[in-house]
Amino acid sequence: MRVIRSVLKEELANSLRMRREYERALKQLPKGVLIRKQIRGHGYYYLLKRESGRVRFEYLGRRISLGMDHRYKEAKQLRAKYRKLLAQVKRQVSFLERALRGRSRRAVA
Amino acid sequence: MDAPVALWRKVLDRLDEAGVLQHLVLIGSWCIPCYGEYFAGVPYTTSIRTRDLDFLVPSPRHPMPRVNLPELLKDLGFVVDFRGEGYMKLDHPELIVEFLVPERGRGTDHPVSLPQLGVNAAALRFLDLLADRLIETKVAGHLIRLPHPAAFGLHKLLIAPRRIKDAKAIKDKEEAFRVLNALVAKGETGQIRQIFQGIPRGWQRRIEQVLISQKQSELLEALK
Repeated sequence: MRVIRSVLKEELANSLRMRREYERALKQLPKGVLIRKQIRGHGYYYLLKRESGRVRFEYLGRRISLGMDHRYKEAKQLRAKYRKLLAQVKRQVSFLERALRGRSRRAVA
Repeated sequence: MDAPVALWRKVLDRLDEAGVLQHLVLIGSWCIPCYGEYFAGVPYTTSIRTRDLDFLVPSPRHPMPRVNLPELLKDLGFVVDFRGEGYMKLDHPELIVEFLVPERGRGTDHPVSLPQLGVNAAALRFLDLLADRLIETKVAGHLIRLPHPAAFGLHKLLIAPRRIKDAKAIKDKEEAFRVLNALVAKGETGQIRQIFQGIPRGWQRRIEQVLISQKQSELLEALK
């Protein structure tokens, strides 16, 4: 039992650390998504951002660099991935805390 | 297949494609299920497996293909975590990948840089024991290198008394007995003895003391 409890404690510490890491990684990703609008037959690039709860379109121009395009596409994919994994880590934290708390409650009872 | 195993296979895929898997040795609790094939036909069960997926780099200066591992595993969702003195770990809710190298000479508290892999590694004592005798096994179509089960078991007995946490020491001993008893059942007592006799006398004494304290007379006998 002691071994299992120790493993659970270690896993909880790992999950708490991971939660911080994913939150940090999400903050470091470039904000917003690239949008290409078609207006009167011409393409125009905008950066769609949410600021103080409001959606803003920031005009970037008719062309953007390949690097910028790649950076925002990758950020979009990583953001979705990190959010999913962060949610998973939060579920792990909650499960591990419950498991460890339950054990100590029973011990007191 | 459970999620950690599925991710573990993806990590192996990436490492193999990058040409670095053959330069690494899988160590730690993930070895236990991998020994299943080696122990086919003898009673052998696996134990609790943590998320820690440890790879030993036996020869850090040995030439190997240059690859940036954090970048290679980034799209799988791994994030880099720096701890303490700057040790790197690649974190994922299902797995924590870490690299280790054998500590030589006086040793160091600082991480050892592995520029060819784009990561750093912790240098730990006694890892040479694991690196000296290896076996190969096929996992998900990849040939992976593992310490010989006898080396794995003896190493666990060697490090158990050095553990700060009691529970870790108990887990080390439990894993060691599981693997060493399976070797005895397989009739490979000679392998245990051969590796035991090749290690320094001080290490031998430490292992014997653990076996005596745990009343493992059959294993003690196997060392003679």
